[in-house]
Amino acid sequence: MLKKISRYLKVWWLMSRNSFLGFLTQRFGAVIFLTGKLLRFGFFFIFIVFLLKGTKTLAGFNLNQTIFFFLTFNLIDVVSQFLFREVYRFRPLVVSGGFDLVLTKPISALFRSLMGGADVLDLITIPPLVVAIILAGRTLNPSILHSAYYIVLIFNSLVLATAFHIAVLSLGIITLEIDHTIMIYRDLTNLGRFPVDIYKEPLKGILTYLVPVGIMITLPAKAFIGLVSFKGILVSFALGILAISIALRFWDFALTKYTSASS
Amino acid sequence: MSLSKYISVFKISFVQEFAYRLNFVMWRVRNVMQIFLVFFLWDSVFSDPTRQVFGYNRDKILTYVFGILFIRALVFSARAVDIAGEISRGDLTNVLLKPINYFRYWFTRDLSSKALNLCFAVIEAAILFLILKPPFFLQTDFRILILFAVLLVFAVLIFFGLLLLINMTPFWAPESGWAAQFLFMGIITEFLSGAVFPLDIFPATIQKVLQFSPFPYLLFFPLQTYLGKISLSSMLGGVLASAVWVIILILTLNYVWAKGMRRYAAEGR
Amino acid sequence: MDRAIIVDHLVKNFEVTVKGPGLRGAISSIISPKRKVVRALKNISFTIQPGELVGFIGPNGAGKTTTLKILSGLLYPTSGFTQVLEFDPWDRRPEFLKQISLVMGQKNQLWWDLPAIETFELNRAIYEIPKRDYEETLKELTELLQVEKLLNIQVRRLSLGQRMKLELVAALLHKPKILFLDEPTIGLDLIAQEKMREFIYEYNKRNGASILLTSHNMDDLINLARRVIVIDEGRIVFDGALEELVNRFAKEKIIKIFLSEEVDIKRIEAIGKVKKIAFPEVVLSVPRSATAVAAAELLQNFPVEDLTIEEVPVEEIVRKVFRGEMRSRVLKK
Repeated sequence: MLKKISRYLKVWWLMSRNSFLGFLTQRFGAVIFLTGKLLRFGFFFIFIVFLLKGTKTLAGFNLNQTIFFFLTFNLIDVVSQFLFREVYRFRPLVVSGGFDLVLTKPISALFRSLMGGADVLDLITIPPLVVAIILAGRTLNPSILHSAYYIVLIFNSLVLATAFHIAVLSLGIITLEIDHTIMIYRDLTNLGRFPVDIYKEPLKGILTYLVPVGIMITLPAKAFIGLVSFKGILVSFALGILAISIALRFWDFALTKYTSASS
Repeated sequence: MSLSKYISVFKISFVQEFAYRLNFVMWRVRNVMQIFLVFFLWDSVFSDPTRQVFGYNRDKILTYVFGILFIRALVFSARAVDIAGEISRGDLTNVLLKPINYFRYWFTRDLSSKALNLCFAVIEAAILFLILKPPFFLQTDFRILILFAVLLVFAVLIFFGLLLLINMTPFWAPESGWAAQFLFMGIITEFLSGAVFPLDIFPATIQKVLQFSPFPYLLFFPLQTYLGKISLSSMLGGVLASAVWVIILILTLNYVWAKGMRRYAAEGR
Repeated sequence: MDRAIIVDHLVKNFEVTVKGPGLRGAISSIISPKRKVVRALKNISFTIQPGELVGFIGPNGAGKTTTLKILSGLLYPTSGFTQVLEFDPWDRRPEFLKQISLVMGQKNQLWWDLPAIETFELNRAIYEIPKRDYEETLKELTELLQVEKLLNIQVRRLSLGQRMKLELVAALLHKPKILFLDEPTIGLDLIAQEKMREFIYEYNKRNGASILLTSHNMDDLINLARRVIVIDEGRIVFDGALEELVNRFAKEKIIKIFLSEEVDIKRIEAIGKVKKIAFPEVVLSVPRSATAVAAAELLQNFPVEDLTIEEVPVEEIVRKVFRGEMRSRVLKK
């Protein structure tokens, strides 16, 4: 078992290194891309600051809290993109027939398609983001318990994100028509930029339980502020585990429906 | 210049979008989802219907949000985003061999896309209207409506100009097309045109600086005009500024295109 | 107009960035990119009459495609004079563009997701072809290429060969007076290649269009072009009739004999250079001038059942030309 883990770790490292080399040859585009992401972050940040200057609260949360929600969203967003960047390249891979080659290699095809292209750019942006979260979190004076809840729920959110990405991959195998599936996932999670409390029912309910953007993004921050009970944490975990097992089943199902692309 | 040429281009471009029906529908779904975010955000801010902030009341801000839906379909829909790929793959060669003006060709294709997106936007707006039942601000001053229409025409032209300029970067950096699009069209233009949030959020000094850029004239300024939030003289000033930007962009386009063509020919792609 | 295409002292240079290998090379190319000048065309000149079918051959990278692109107005010359149908190609005037066509193997103009007929209709509008002419030409071309049934199928569903035929139709709808074909048979199977050659030949005969085709496929050359221009490393090495190429550069002829009995090979080697032995067949090459004498000697002194005299295959000649063995014998008409 340990051997298997270390083998996968080595493969992941090599795939990521290749990804990094690829980045070097496309340096100009990569820098522009990074600049764009930083700008988008900056624009939204400024927006929140000025908005709350004028309105004082948003769905009952003050400026610092809203910023914390926003930063949490970014953390989960960036870490998932860092790990799962390869998912964005999946459709071209299937269409070109490259997925056949992936399937015949002695490495889990799911692993390769999910995590084969860790994005170096995101790696650069994660540490400053973590620092920002710590700074913003300080202003909210959380208890140790709440901080622990936060970290644990972030982990759960990543589990949910993994489940989502696996589902996207599976859909990508079954039907080639859906070009935008991953972008729809992004649009849904983007709804979590602000606390889901701003949405009215039934949208809020849907977002919290059915398409668990609420649990993924808003909940960890809420736990930090102390708004979530221990029971809530357990329910979230249950949902996370449920999501992953459904996703993995879906993946296996999708493989049975795979029709290799002809040239 | 014969019109039938471009009518044909319009038609085939329209048909092409239909070849990817599901894709297109997904694209519209995404558009609607993005509107949801913005709508509820402001709905929550203005949950107290008497509230006034940043110069908006509930009616006006929610009308602004619907305005985003329309103006995105009209101004921001484009096919010319494909130009970058065409240049870096060398497919530009095929079009250059044909007796058709490159700019007019792509502008026609853009119009085709805008027509299709606008149809859908109208339907979506109607549906959203029925679901969300927002208060809607209806402009009745005829002079303002005319200025609004003029501003929209200029907005279309300004967007086209900016988009083409960005799509020409592959002449010099062949791999950079999508990154440049992402940065300039996806981020800078989106935010600074007021398509994500109204520029009133910013303090007056920042707004003044932005007015020296072409971006506000794509969406924010036309909507300000429609909502009647500025004086008539300001509106006229904006029309003038838009016109100036159109001229600047046309001149820049021709210059950059000539340079780019020589570069394309020199590298022999 | 007595000359459809005029090329005079044409020179074309390209600037290329050079990248070193590996990580170090990638990083150094960011800090100080190195540029190199590639001389693609080194002073070439030729003219083509209306209605001529000319084969433009040379090894890869010789400058064939570059020449075609300059003549279509896609690349601008570094120096020299080019004129096509009395236009300067680089101006890319609509009147000029309506009379030429450039077909390149890999560059497709058909809209991928739509049936070919849609692209044809679009081209009709772009080239402003009158309806009657369009329908006539469409019928003629689709019959000639046997693609009538494929017009309404999405292009991406068709095979490579079918697509190439439809690309040809799209390229010829406006009845261009000048047709540039860049490697028209590349990637096609043998039968498709033959059909393509037949079509080009027919088209040239019927429409009197000047056709300039590039290839590094010898069969294209032998079966199509009466006149060939051989280009190597940016220079024209030969320009003239195909037979002349053979005559001037083939110093030898091939004699094939079929023996009824085995003989001592050394005796045959005294007459000529033995190229192949596969009893009963022996192939040898002899100097051109000595062919008759050698044949007579073989017939007299050896148990020869059958004897044929052939030219050295064109491929070999051209290959020798490419390899620069003929460089000192640069010949132009």
